[in-house]
Amino acid sequence: MSTLNLILCAVAAASLDICALVLLLTAYHERSAGKKRWDRMTSFMELADYNVSYPLGCDEILIGRHASADIRLPDLSVSRYHALMTVSNGIWTITDMGSKSGIFVNGNLVKSVQLRENDVIKLGNRRLIFRRKGGC
Amino acid sequence: MSSKIAYVFSCLFVIIAHGGMLLNVFFNGNYSSINNVIILSAAVLLLDAAYFTAMLFFRQTTYAIDFLMILLLNMSIIFQSCFGGVRLSVKHYITCIVALAACRVGYILCRNHKWLQQQKKYFYIGIGILMVVIVTLTGSRNMWISLGPITIQPSEFIKPLFILACATSIAEQQKKHKILFFHVVYENFALFGLMAMIFLLQWWCRDLGSLPTFVAIYACGFLLRICYPKAKFSKKKLVGAGVILLIVAIVGIKFAPGYVQDRLHVDIWSDPSGDGYQQSRALIGIANGGWFGKGPGYGDLHNVFAHENDIVFATISEEWGLLYSLMMIFVILIIIMIPLINPPRSYFHGTVATGICAAFAVQMGLNIFGSCNMIPFTGVTIPFISSGGSSLMVSGFMTGMLIACQSPVFKQPKPPKKIKKTASQVNYPPQYRRESY
Amino acid sequence: MKSIKRCQGIMSLVLILFILGMAALVVKIQREASFYMMNSGEHQLGKVYDRNGDVLFDGSGKTEFEDNYLIDVGNLIGDDKGQMTNTLVARNIESLNNYSFTAGLVESGGDASIHTTIDHEANRKVYDSFVGQDGCAVAYNYKTGEILICTSLPSFDVTKGYDNILEFRSGTLMSKAMYRTVPGSTQKVSTVIAALEIMGADKLFAKSFSCSGSYKNLGGNNIDCHNAYGHGTQNIQQAVENSCNPFFAQLVEDSDLPLKKVKSIFKKMGYTVNDDGCGYIDIDGIKCEKASTTLNDPYEFKTQWGCIGQGDTLISPVQLMMWQSAIANKSGKMTMPYLISYTTDVYGKENYTGKTKFSDKIFSAVTAETTRQILLTNGENHYSSLISGYKVGVKSGTAQVNEGNTENSLLVGFVDDENFPIAFCILLEDKNSTSVKTENIAKVILDSLSESYLKN
Repeated sequence: MSTLNLILCAVAAASLDICALVLLLTAYHERSAGKKRWDRMTSFMELADYNVSYPLGCDEILIGRHASADIRLPDLSVSRYHALMTVSNGIWTITDMGSKSGIFVNGNLVKSVQLRENDVIKLGNRRLIFRRKGGC
Repeated sequence: MSSKIAYVFSCLFVIIAHGGMLLNVFFNGNYSSINNVIILSAAVLLLDAAYFTAMLFFRQTTYAIDFLMILLLNMSIIFQSCFGGVRLSVKHYITCIVALAACRVGYILCRNHKWLQQQKKYFYIGIGILMVVIVTLTGSRNMWISLGPITIQPSEFIKPLFILACATSIAEQQKKHKILFFHVVYENFALFGLMAMIFLLQWWCRDLGSLPTFVAIYACGFLLRICYPKAKFSKKKLVGAGVILLIVAIVGIKFAPGYVQDRLHVDIWSDPSGDGYQQSRALIGIANGGWFGKGPGYGDLHNVFAHENDIVFATISEEWGLLYSLMMIFVILIIIMIPLINPPRSYFHGTVATGICAAFAVQMGLNIFGSCNMIPFTGVTIPFISSGGSSLMVSGFMTGMLIACQSPVFKQPKPPKKIKKTASQVNYPPQYRRESY
Repeated sequence: MKSIKRCQGIMSLVLILFILGMAALVVKIQREASFYMMNSGEHQLGKVYDRNGDVLFDGSGKTEFEDNYLIDVGNLIGDDKGQMTNTLVARNIESLNNYSFTAGLVESGGDASIHTTIDHEANRKVYDSFVGQDGCAVAYNYKTGEILICTSLPSFDVTKGYDNILEFRSGTLMSKAMYRTVPGSTQKVSTVIAALEIMGADKLFAKSFSCSGSYKNLGGNNIDCHNAYGHGTQNIQQAVENSCNPFFAQLVEDSDLPLKKVKSIFKKMGYTVNDDGCGYIDIDGIKCEKASTTLNDPYEFKTQWGCIGQGDTLISPVQLMMWQSAIANKSGKMTMPYLISYTTDVYGKENYTGKTKFSDKIFSAVTAETTRQILLTNGENHYSSLISGYKVGVKSGTAQVNEGNTENSLLVGFVDDENFPIAFCILLEDKNSTSVKTENIAKVILDSLSESYLKN
């Protein structure tokens, strides 16, 4: 195998390598684009405790005491799987998952309800505020 | 704005990568007439250009997988066209275009997961129909249906349906029913039954090669399903499942039919012209190629049966070098790695992506490690790289599903909802009872 | 988000498993590529050299050899024709191939080679000293393990090929040093070692048995001595020097030497006892048969002869020589022999170097020292004039083969010299048909080695 052939092999391999790298970079770039789009689709909402804010990163958010819940509220008054939040058409809905203490939104006991900005959700003894991102 | 620049660069570098390969073919390749190389280059670059143009009309959030797929498919066209002498492999070219179309179909069908979940019964029905087709139209010990010049492998088409059947949303896993002391989800049992059926079918067809793929998909689906137990049973269930799988595997190996047993213990070097012919030739081919290969078209493996699918890794290694074929595998890995970089936004799509990842990885593993004699040799294909219409089409469809996971749509399909965004309402909006999924 | 993370976790696991598999594959291919190439039917073999740079084999076929130039090493070094499988080239053909995964198969100018420890010049002299008589001789440095001499007769000119293979005499295509043969009285060394291990030197030297030319053993069979008039009453030193069969028969029967213990010591020394199987000692890929014997009952005729050197006992000359190293080293550890000094890859870079290795302790250092003294005394009393100029410890042996029709002569021994540590074993077949003596060959071995080997 002559030097020229080796160089050509190297060129082909290098161009493939660089291409793969560029595409990976594109994917990383799209990650932020995807995040923005997701924020737009979910109306920039988040849940907030007194000082902690919980991002709503996917379309089904499980709230409960169990370790595998997306939003974990380590409080005995909260059921293991207490509530499920879902989003469609940019509107969030909270649904009771058969909890013992139920869900109170703005003081009303609900089974399933669409949420609006600045709603206060009470799960057991815990209060969460459904608010726009960056709010306080 | 910046994303447009990124896409222009992506297009550019995909074309440069193909250009580099074609240059290599031109200078190092084994061809009788320069026309062959020109036709090949034209076909490849045309397909690139056509797809990039078409991409302008696709409205998606992300395009990375599209770029990776066109990169890979054109690489595969170049590889397949070079085996034993450069000339455009028209058949493979057409199947690649079909795969691209299948990818679009996969994307469009799968992007709205809520709609998709409502169709779940059709997946079961579809798999059922395919199974009936296999049982009636292909004989035992055979997995092909011949339709004139085209042969179809129906068991391939079960894969995407099975992945969709295994996928689940969290809400679905929370619809539990209590039987005795256990909280169960009925669908998990249906799925187990389906897996058992597929197992029996593959056994009957003597197509145990694709069984690990199904098992891997099922295992991933199962793991992701039982992650939401009513608290206590989690770890025990996991361990139990592992033990059961292990026992099934051991029993399976112990009672496997004779021809499988034979394949499990083959010393390919004792009789290189017998059972181990393909593997030994494949390994010799890889050794012959070394890091940088003998040059496109100069390999010897194109004389071996199934050089373009079962031992394609070795064929490419021989002509292009081990380094290049490893990089090709790396590109496939990037495709299935994309959901790690850019996470799916719903659990359903997450499970779909996991299933696809498992299916691709297991298929590649079976093919590559099998042809290199690390595990028993089976006749499965490497996604995108191996020739074969059914396999390529299904790989394209599954990639479409991956794109759908990246660019999902969140719409409640039906009934069309009337939502009034009148903030002036003092009362609470009427409680909206969710449709059960 | 935890749920999605879980999906990603499983995906990462699958991908990591796959990548690990790929890594294993690449490592496997790297390691085994030259093996695959040897199976492809295409190869470009390099050269085999002796310790002084003399070419012993040239895979390219370009080197011109004089007729019979390689006859003394032909059946040890061998060739790539596939007729002989237990030769250095056949067993190490991969490292001789001018192939590397990076460079591919180098058609010409590759530097793959094997440099052996053989001293071709000395080996040739030893070969000539047999004067055409069948047999073999092997000698090595018992401090380092380098095999310096290994020749076997009959032999043939490997460069001429196998066209007249039908005319070859039996044993032509093998290096006899690697194969088992009847050891004759050289087996008594092992019996002495076993006795020393079990009783200790004082007790063994206190024993004396008488020989009247023949001894009726406790099983009722006659054990004949080669001296029909008998040796009278002897101690162990005298019995070894006289090589007295009745003495050893009575020693085996002695209650202080339980056969069970003898068996376990023989096993430790590497014998296969009472078993049809045959193990191998690996000498750079060449398989050398391990010793075997049958020991059933101390009063049994066959068992007694087994300890004397006939019966079912079979030992390869190489192993006899290795035991000499354990004695000469005064440590009870055998020096493992090796043939390959170093190999070079296709670029001429050293990629393997032979190393001195020792076996496990097969008997105690005290036993080694005592046995050494017995053999040295024997050498001083009987061989100082025959192998003049060297302080040797030796044991001779006469083995009856072909149902007693022919007698082979054996000689094992070592030179007791820090600067010339040579152990050897010589087998001369059908000794009665020739005037050549094993002592002469031993002298040639030591002379030629001290000449050329010590020079360097």
